[in-house]
Amino acid sequence: MKKLAYDYYMRISYSIPVENCHFTIKCFPQSTDRQRVLTQKIDISAQGYSEGRDGFGNRQIYGGVESEHDIFVFHTAGEVESGLSDYEEVAAEDRIGMFRHAHGCNMPGTGLRSYFEELVRAQVITDGQEDLQKSTALMHRLYQDFHYEKNKTTMSTTAEQAWQIGAGVCQDYAHILIALCQMAGIPARYVTGMLIGEGASHAWVEILAGDRWYPMDPTNDCIVTDSHIRIGTGRHAGDCLINRGIMHGGGDQTQEVRVTVTEMS
Amino acid sequence: MSTLELLQHTDTVNELLARYGVKFGIYKNNTFKEQLFPFDAIPRIIGHDEFDYLERGLKQRVMALNLFLKDIYSKKQIVKDGVVPEDFIFASSGYMAECEGAMPPKGIYSHISGIDLVKGKDGTWYILEDNLRVPSGASYPMIARELCRRSSPDTFHDNRLEDNRNYAKLLRKTMDYVNAGGHTVILTPGRYNAAYFEHSYLAEKTGAHLANGSELVVEDDKLYYRAMDGKLERVGAVYRRISDEYLDPMNFNPESLIGIPHIYDVFRKGNVALLNAPGNGVADDKGIYYFVPKMIRYYLDEEPILSNAPTYLPFYEEDMAYVLEHFDDLVLKDVAEAGGYGVVFGNSMSTRQKEDFIALLKKEPRRFIAQEVIDFQDLEILEGEVAVPRKADLRAFVLMADEPMVWKSGLTRFSRNPDSFIVNSSQGGGFKDTWVLSQ
Repeated sequence: MKKLAYDYYMRISYSIPVENCHFTIKCFPQSTDRQRVLTQKIDISAQGYSEGRDGFGNRQIYGGVESEHDIFVFHTAGEVESGLSDYEEVAAEDRIGMFRHAHGCNMPGTGLRSYFEELVRAQVITDGQEDLQKSTALMHRLYQDFHYEKNKTTMSTTAEQAWQIGAGVCQDYAHILIALCQMAGIPARYVTGMLIGEGASHAWVEILAGDRWYPMDPTNDCIVTDSHIRIGTGRHAGDCLINRGIMHGGGDQTQEVRVTVTEMS
Repeated sequence: MSTLELLQHTDTVNELLARYGVKFGIYKNNTFKEQLFPFDAIPRIIGHDEFDYLERGLKQRVMALNLFLKDIYSKKQIVKDGVVPEDFIFASSGYMAECEGAMPPKGIYSHISGIDLVKGKDGTWYILEDNLRVPSGASYPMIARELCRRSSPDTFHDNRLEDNRNYAKLLRKTMDYVNAGGHTVILTPGRYNAAYFEHSYLAEKTGAHLANGSELVVEDDKLYYRAMDGKLERVGAVYRRISDEYLDPMNFNPESLIGIPHIYDVFRKGNVALLNAPGNGVADDKGIYYFVPKMIRYYLDEEPILSNAPTYLPFYEEDMAYVLEHFDDLVLKDVAEAGGYGVVFGNSMSTRQKEDFIALLKKEPRRFIAQEVIDFQDLEILEGEVAVPRKADLRAFVLMADEPMVWKSGLTRFSRNPDSFIVNSSQGGGFKDTWVLSQ
């Protein structure tokens, strides 16, 4: 168990002022079996906002800025105890099905299907294994067969496309691992969060074994312990985007995101 | 039944319909096609008792479908109890996980349902499909009746039939029942949309505001209509004629320019009713159709009054075996397609096509349903001066307020092609008025 302090700062600046914008921000760790949120504060350069939960249980704030502006700032910080448990007990049993069946950008194509078949033939996963072993084995292989490289993929790259490209970032690792687990019949979901030393937001996967969700981080080929803070979950990145916005006007935009997670003594 | 006088006015009515802009728009491959929707003046006539039977069956069906939707987006008891396999929910393109946990006002999901039926040669009615998203078409028989009454008043004096001009009243009641406080709006994608006639016609007849997305704004978890003078007026119910994905760029397709940012968040807070509720696609695809009779038994503990067309799900092994054995007698439908697309008749395929299709069927069994080909009753239509028989179906409209209400009319669509079973307007069919006898 670690006590972590996090700080998430986002600043979007526009070359031409924006007439109005709408935002939905899902950047709020919640207490689970694995982590306890101790403090949390929010600052935003909007006059006000609404609060609620999305269909995946993520906490969100949303609203609009109706006046002209050339900068949008969002800042949140807090303290979290992480690593309270290795897993999280299933809460919404009735929704597990949405993580068992591939959807949208996790839908495997021919590339991922034949990769999966190859892994089965090579006995990377076998019938005798428990689901947790299977998913760990799939993660290890993916880590070997896929490469970390920025700017090869975009926010909207699908699992299949990323696999075909052969390289990507945490989002792509997570999408592919979800697709592989689902092909193996194991429900898997996407997680957004923060990690000690990362500097930006991070993404990983939770897989369901028995009645428990186990987190694993395919980008780092490790089981998630107490250096990660979970923010949101969903079927894939699109369900739990940390920041979603639309605006009128604005010209070019520059987005700066600074994330720090430090261990408190 | 005397309709002879009326028939002389066919051309006049069609000319008037064209002048009023009564067109049918279809949306396929990202483009709109617009075509006139030819009107045939020979009405479909349904007897009083026969319609009474349909009415009971339709009410029952729509009640069950609403309960199903409410269950699916909350506890999913019907899945837990093994009545509907999970695959038909979560792998369905109509299921929207984003809608989990949002309860619409009064728990109603499908306020306006368009249920398509056909009548077999033996006189049995069969449900062909349920349309629970944005079913259109009520305005066509409404305006056709209006124009027919005008050109041939005697016809309606001599024949005792149910007045269908009450649709607007039923619709208004439906919208008011769930209104969360404020104005009632019919949301249209705009003038360029080929169904714009229907949107404006229904707004005029119900007294609702006709608005496009840019006239509605969200502030502090409430929805407002921006009046001409810039003042904001609260909106409590939106009969939206925009599909789910385009309704709210902040919650669904971010590319949508015709939607209203955050309208779904307002809905989630219970501050506006959306007719119909987003997510209804999970209850009206061709795969879930198979389960509707089971839903009726499950939720209502009643036997279904109206039958489905005999349907097989290759998803189940025994059904797959049946389908392969009787392939030539069946019609195969792709569950993801609509509007008469993705429909093939087993006996129309070449040997090669058949082999390919069966290979696909075995690979993706959940993607298809198979149905017995119903030999449905022909209706007469006029081709010039001559009456010829054509295939036709009936779209019945069921509106849900405190209780389900069936409109005593409906849209009868027919195929103009003598060899075709497909009556969809998007495939060039025409329409008739539907008369329900009042005694």
